Amino acid sequence: MRYNEKELRALSQQPAEMAAELSMRGPKKGSVAKRRLVKLVVNFLFYFRTDEAEPLGALLLERCRVSQEEPGGFSISFIEDPERKYYFECCTQEQCQEWMEALRRASYEYMRCSLIFYRNEIQKMTGKDPLEQFGISEEARFQLSSLPRDRRAACVGTQLDELD
Amino acid sequence: MKLNKRSVAHYALSDSPADHMGFLRTWGGPGAPPTPSGTGRRCWFVLKGNLLFSFESREGQAPLSLVVLEGCTVELAEAPVPEEFAFAIHFDAPGVRPHLLAADGQEAQEAWVKALSRASFSYMRLVVRELESQLQDARRSLALHRCTSQKASASCRKPQAPDSRSPGLENGHFLPRDCSPVGTVEGVGYRPVGWDLPEWELQGPTGLLLGRGQSPVSPETSCFSTLHDWYGQEILKLRQGWQQRAQGKQPGCKRQDKP
Repeated sequence: MRYNEKELRALSQQPAEMAAELSMRGPKKGSVAKRRLVKLVVNFLFYFRTDEAEPLGALLLERCRVSQEEPGGFSISFIEDPERKYYFECCTQEQCQEWMEALRRASYEYMRCSLIFYRNEIQKMTGKDPLEQFGISEEARFQLSSLPRDRRAACVGTQLDELD
Repeated sequence: MKLNKRSVAHYALSDSPADHMGFLRTWGGPGAPPTPSGTGRRCWFVLKGNLLFSFESREGQAPLSLVVLEGCTVELAEAPVPEEFAFAIHFDAPGVRPHLLAADGQEAQEAWVKALSRASFSYMRLVVRELESQLQDARRSLALHRCTSQKASASCRKPQAPDSRSPGLENGHFLPRDCSPVGTVEGVGYRPVGWDLPEWELQGPTGLLLGRGQSPVSPETSCFSTLHDWYGQEILKLRQGWQQRAQGKQPGCKRQDKP
């Protein structure tokens, strides 16, 4: 699968949601933890050697699972192979918590759910569709029906946090 | 640069909702020759969020390519290309030529341009933040209405609770960009003295990005401007009270009665 690497590298230079030096270990057996500059930009997690401007790699964060590993550490894995984990170690559990929360919300899917949830709530409260002003109210991706059943229930429910 | 391609491909093929899909002819994109030539290659394209995937066919088992759609603009293709329904994705990244695509008809062309223009994560984030703030305001105005109906019955009671102050302030950031009477709120010196309102700052750029004349507020503007006026006056009175009390603490100042 080819991809537009130049643009992705340019994206890695954009202002980040979060950036920090963390200890990172790849999913391969026997891989060693290394210091990396880790940067969250939109739904990608970039990682750099600490003294380099160009990223070593990127992780697309759609459908990822973020889990707590020993105190101060977390892992990212993906739905098709949940045991294949990228490990990260933070300085404090607080920092770890911050990262985990940010990463869980860093997907387009999560934002789509949030949007549908807020739209639904606003419609219930005001009787108006807040997307009309943007001219996007008819788009299929913003309809409640576009969500898989379990997420649909969570969206229509009371708390957005249930979606996590 | 490494990318978790296996996971990306899995995501492309998964049942996650596609925002748009269809056949397009493509010339540019990753791995293509430097100048567009010939009739291009007809591929099945699937847009999911800010990711545009192409497949050899509708039943393709693996994506041919991925175009990440951040930092780009989409325009109808320029004249030199003798294609009827062409459009191009222009990237901000330096030294990257536009990715040329063509649809089968005008409707499809327009639909794709629209979909791709709104595909960025940043756009989505903007909309979500805007709705989040609209929901907060809707909730507060609901609480307000309950509060006002209580006030109507309880005659002289002042709204000392923090809740009754903050709605007015945060309604302030809801200023429509048109010339509604909300402007008068600013006229009466309606400023959150000493209060930290980061949300206030956030709404400014968002409002501007929505375009002049487009109100970020939900259509009940008249309701909100009434609330603004009402709260503006309440806040004024409260401020006067505080200032007087503050002056009252200094020696030699006349003591005022509590307003």
